[in-house]
Amino acid sequence: MRSIWAIAVNTIKQAVRLKIAAVFIVLLLVLLPVMGLKMTGDGTLKGRMQSFISYSLSLMSLLLALLTILAACFTLTNDVKDKQVYTVLTKPVRRYQFVLGKLLGVIVLDAFLLTLFSVVIYSIAVLMPQFIKADNEQLERARNEFFTARASIVPPQPDISAEIDEKYEKLKESGEVPKGVDENPVARRNYRNELSRRIGLRRRAAVVGEELVWEFENVKLSDPKQPLFVKFKYEVAVNPADLAIYSGWVIGDLRQIRMGEMPVTPIYSVERKDLIRTAVEFQVPGDCVADDGYVALAFQNVPLNNTVVIFPLEDGLEVLFQADSFTANFVRAVLLVFIRLVFLAALAVFAGSFLSFPVAVLLCLAVFTMANMSGFINESFEFLGENINKLYYHSLKHIMNLLPEFDDYNPGQFLLSARLISWTLVAKAGALMVFLKSLPLVAFSIVIFSLREIAKVIV
Amino acid sequence: MQYAIETFSLTKIFSDWWGRDKVVAVDDLNLKIRTNEVFGLLGPNGSGKTTTLKLLLGLLHPTKGRSLLLEGSAADPQISTRIGFLPEESYLYKYLTARETLEFYGRLFKLPAKVRKLRTEALLDMVGLKAVANRHVGTFSKGMARRIGLAQALINDPDLLILDEPTTGLDPIGTRQIKDLIIELAKRGKTILLCNHLLADVEDVCDRIAILYGGKIQAEGNVSDLLRRTDKTEITTGLLSPDAVKKIERIFAEERAEYSISAPMTKLETFFIDIIAAAQQQELPTSGAESKRHISEFLSAKPQELADRQAILDQLVSSGVQQDEPADTVTRQPQPRPSPSADEDFLKGLVQTDASAGSQTAVPKPVEPTPVLPPQPDRNVIDELLGKPASDGDVKENGDTHNA
Repeated sequence: MRSIWAIAVNTIKQAVRLKIAAVFIVLLLVLLPVMGLKMTGDGTLKGRMQSFISYSLSLMSLLLALLTILAACFTLTNDVKDKQVYTVLTKPVRRYQFVLGKLLGVIVLDAFLLTLFSVVIYSIAVLMPQFIKADNEQLERARNEFFTARASIVPPQPDISAEIDEKYEKLKESGEVPKGVDENPVARRNYRNELSRRIGLRRRAAVVGEELVWEFENVKLSDPKQPLFVKFKYEVAVNPADLAIYSGWVIGDLRQIRMGEMPVTPIYSVERKDLIRTAVEFQVPGDCVADDGYVALAFQNVPLNNTVVIFPLEDGLEVLFQADSFTANFVRAVLLVFIRLVFLAALAVFAGSFLSFPVAVLLCLAVFTMANMSGFINESFEFLGENINKLYYHSLKHIMNLLPEFDDYNPGQFLLSARLISWTLVAKAGALMVFLKSLPLVAFSIVIFSLREIAKVIV
Repeated sequence: MQYAIETFSLTKIFSDWWGRDKVVAVDDLNLKIRTNEVFGLLGPNGSGKTTTLKLLLGLLHPTKGRSLLLEGSAADPQISTRIGFLPEESYLYKYLTARETLEFYGRLFKLPAKVRKLRTEALLDMVGLKAVANRHVGTFSKGMARRIGLAQALINDPDLLILDEPTTGLDPIGTRQIKDLIIELAKRGKTILLCNHLLADVEDVCDRIAILYGGKIQAEGNVSDLLRRTDKTEITTGLLSPDAVKKIERIFAEERAEYSISAPMTKLETFFIDIIAAAQQQELPTSGAESKRHISEFLSAKPQELADRQAILDQLVSSGVQQDEPADTVTRQPQPRPSPSADEDFLKGLVQTDASAGSQTAVPKPVEPTPVLPPQPDRNVIDELLGKPASDGDVKENGDTHNA
């Protein structure tokens, strides 16, 4: 362990004294305050905070990722190229200790810089409202919708497979299924997918005068005095003249009404007019939630609208409530960034264990870029033709699965919408990216480096 | 316990990308280097010297054969703890200072912090880099880098020292110091494997040599045996009167011997060292390394081990086993050390003295301007072997038992 630490310290000195780290440190220390001053977002305090936190976190994450890749690739490849390994590996240092020392050095450097910059970002974020002339309403909004950590619950996806089967059989009997579809398994699957989409859509759509009801369970407020937030977005069949929808909402333990008893918990009724295709949220007092964590939500498409209102699948409707503080959430967001950096350090050490510096950096950057848009790449493959799809499912998909899930655990996205980053989520990200993806990389690099002929000149 | 380095049919063939054999760098090498021997591996450029060292140290994998260092593998930390290695160029971390460099390597040996610090200071002083200890190694001249490279090879007080062209880049004084150091280390019971193509350096310090060419040993043996000429006699005296010269010429004429009489030339090395020593006495400033003529005291053989070795030697001598190898073992009397803790005590004393006389260490110490004699210990050994043929038997017996 002492040799590993000695090598780690030497690696940190290398990164610092060769001014690899210095470039990034200066860049961040200059850019972060500038961003704090210049970012205005949509002009409101909340918007300003949102754009600052999302840009500053992304920038820090990106720059530290680049630093990690460069430093880790450099330290290993350069020691081999400049032959310092000759003097180090002939000492009582095992090869694995050398590799682990390099990795540890980069990770410790990352941890230090990450802490430093996180403190800077956090301080700017917390102090910003004091320097900006914002009225109380804006402050209140920022406090409720930004300086908090809200858990989000989306309506559960109902199981509609039975309904699809039923509908399909009905259509088949009435001869409405197009010719050849029933015989061809691929065509049948596509047809059924279309049916499923339609049925799902029907469930999320309210015709004029209709009421949609969602039921939520396990809404555990940290404090019943805290409000409950309903966030939604309208899609419409026909655009209304003023692009707005009038609505009536009822929120509370609606079971009480059905049973015909006197309500114990209050039930709130809200009337609103909101723009279509825009994410909107309103709040109701948190005491509407039943003791067992049940709350129901009813939306009525008032006749005034004269159009079908649809709640989109992805961001149509969710219920938010405060679950933790902004500070705690921020700490966990930083941990998510750290998990990324650990993966990148492992990747870079792996690449450096057998490649030359430029090639290793290139490989790391390629993986880094792909990991950042893995969600997009995965989605786009889903739209490929049938034949390529097969190839994709049997080969590429597995390769894509090897990439780390940077997309799913983007801390900026969470903080931007003040969404709770639960410890479970951090643990999951750690398990996936550190244990499942980094450890094998480290193991590979140790094996490769141990078997390698260090003094062999490669021409 | 007898062989510090042993190779068995060690072969290294470099192949190209397609796996086709290209260069036979080391070919079926069987080296046996005894404990406490100064062994020189000679050869022209590209003869496989460095490749051999890399194979020994596990930096390259042998195509065939194997090697033992201190009866183990160099990959074993227990063995590498006892090895010091100076590569052909001092591959150092440019961004570390001289002191940090030694501290770093000391840490790799897991030396306790106290010992590490004492040794670092002692070695910096020994290689004459104390004044520039806080400068980055990257700013060092080649000779200075060489010195710090040598210091890092000695930080663990190794039993086996492997030096790949230790004198390249060094000025004649530095070269001289390294040679003196090697002799001194050998006296203290170390085994030294030396790679070099500067033959004069090797001749001065080595007990045995092997000449490599094409990865094969072309000649191997005792330096004195290999170089002794049986067809000539050399007589060296002080200044003689013309009369005496005439008398001698008469004797030569009677013997019908070819002869020449002249005043001998000083070796350029000796001349150079005298000049620089004189300059240093005038305390002219230098930005380079200082010249020191002492060796750090911690570099010692462990007393117990030495006693053991002596006991084994005695046993072997008295056992009177038959012998079929040439007499080539060196028996030196290592300087015994009173106790293991004395190492630390002494170093403490050394550092304290330095601290009290800090200004003194900053100034180049004058070197005694005496004409430099050939290294004494080595001569003694050669004299002993040349002058006392009777003692050959003793040593021979000793050499034989390795095979027994």
